[in-house]
Amino acid sequence: MKRRKFIHRLLAAGAVILTGAARQANKVMPRRFTWAAKYHKYPGGFRAPDDIFGQGKWSG
Amino acid sequence: MRVQCELCPKNCVIDPGQSGECRVRVNIGGTLTTVVYGYPCSINVDPVEKKPVAHFLPGTGILSIATVGCNLHCRNCQNWEISQANPEEMPALFYSREKLYWSPQDLVNIAKRANCPSLAYTYTDPIVYYEYTYDTAKLAREAGLRNVLVTAGYINPEPWKRLLEFVDVARIDLKAMTEEFYREVCSATLQPVLNALVLAKASGALVEVTNLVIPTLNDKPEEIRELVRWIKANLGGETPLHFSRFFPRHKMLNLPPTSLETLDLARRIAMEEGLQYVYIGNIASKEGQNTYCPKCKALLIERSGYTILQNNLKNGTCPKCGNEIYGVWK
Repeated sequence: MKRRKFIHRLLAAGAVILTGAARQANKVMPRRFTWAAKYHKYPGGFRAPDDIFGQGKWSG
Repeated sequence: MRVQCELCPKNCVIDPGQSGECRVRVNIGGTLTTVVYGYPCSINVDPVEKKPVAHFLPGTGILSIATVGCNLHCRNCQNWEISQANPEEMPALFYSREKLYWSPQDLVNIAKRANCPSLAYTYTDPIVYYEYTYDTAKLAREAGLRNVLVTAGYINPEPWKRLLEFVDVARIDLKAMTEEFYREVCSATLQPVLNALVLAKASGALVEVTNLVIPTLNDKPEEIRELVRWIKANLGGETPLHFSRFFPRHKMLNLPPTSLETLDLARRIAMEEGLQYVYIGNIASKEGQNTYCPKCKALLIERSGYTILQNNLKNGTCPKCGNEIYGVWK
């Protein structure tokens, strides 16, 4: 094998390994967020508000 | 793809379809999503004294909102039915049968209609409905209303600083001064709370601190002294401190309610150490509910429960000696 061909194959193999490693890292490393997106569908049910102009029953 | 929520110190790593510890920040399709934005489970006009807040517009009503969820899991939580609920289990309030969602503008409009000069983000913890709190607080500020946050202060510094731009009052719980208490009772850690308190003070917001005194867990005089000393050294002697009475609730039913003697002792220790405004809450207490001038000891505000019996302040100063009293009074 000529030296130039050997180097090309070596580079190609390195690229494959790097791509694989990057994909794997992407799976393992989570995407980081502070600000959450809105989701306009509440997962639970709904009820009518009580008297909102009166005092609440919860503490605080 | 997994996501990491960096809002609070839990820094939850969340698998697709799952939520963080707070139950309301969900990984939907590789994006962190809040499922409670616009869906409060409680909206009420409370007296501001109920938060408790003693140095902010006494005698006014405050539009108080909450969604379900909390990033702490305190064994003694008084509001555990909403703080520890999944959104699937706890119905949200609808605005009308045609419109389920409450926009930040809807909340501001209701506060105005109810003649409330301020809004409180409270009952559970506004940290977990951060985006709703932020957008509403920003809009409220633009509309000339004030914002009061009632929180455990368990949040990372960057989002906290961003929110503090719109916060007028930060009413923060300092539950104890030991990592052990925060770990065992609240599933949290102490240091981020201390950081949040310092940042709140530095932001220029009015800071009031609440300490729930729980028999045998955080009621030793030396622990109270340590807490008070930390407040004085880091937030200043003018910081109002509320010692609240514990009642057995949720997963802490084995302990008795805090005695008035213990609360009185805590108040005495705090005043000995140089805190100027120390209150007792959740129990009738003659002196522990009132505001006195730290200089001449004149009675400034007399309270009975959440009712103001007399308010003698003159433009935020003592009418007898002219001492300026820490707070937001108009």
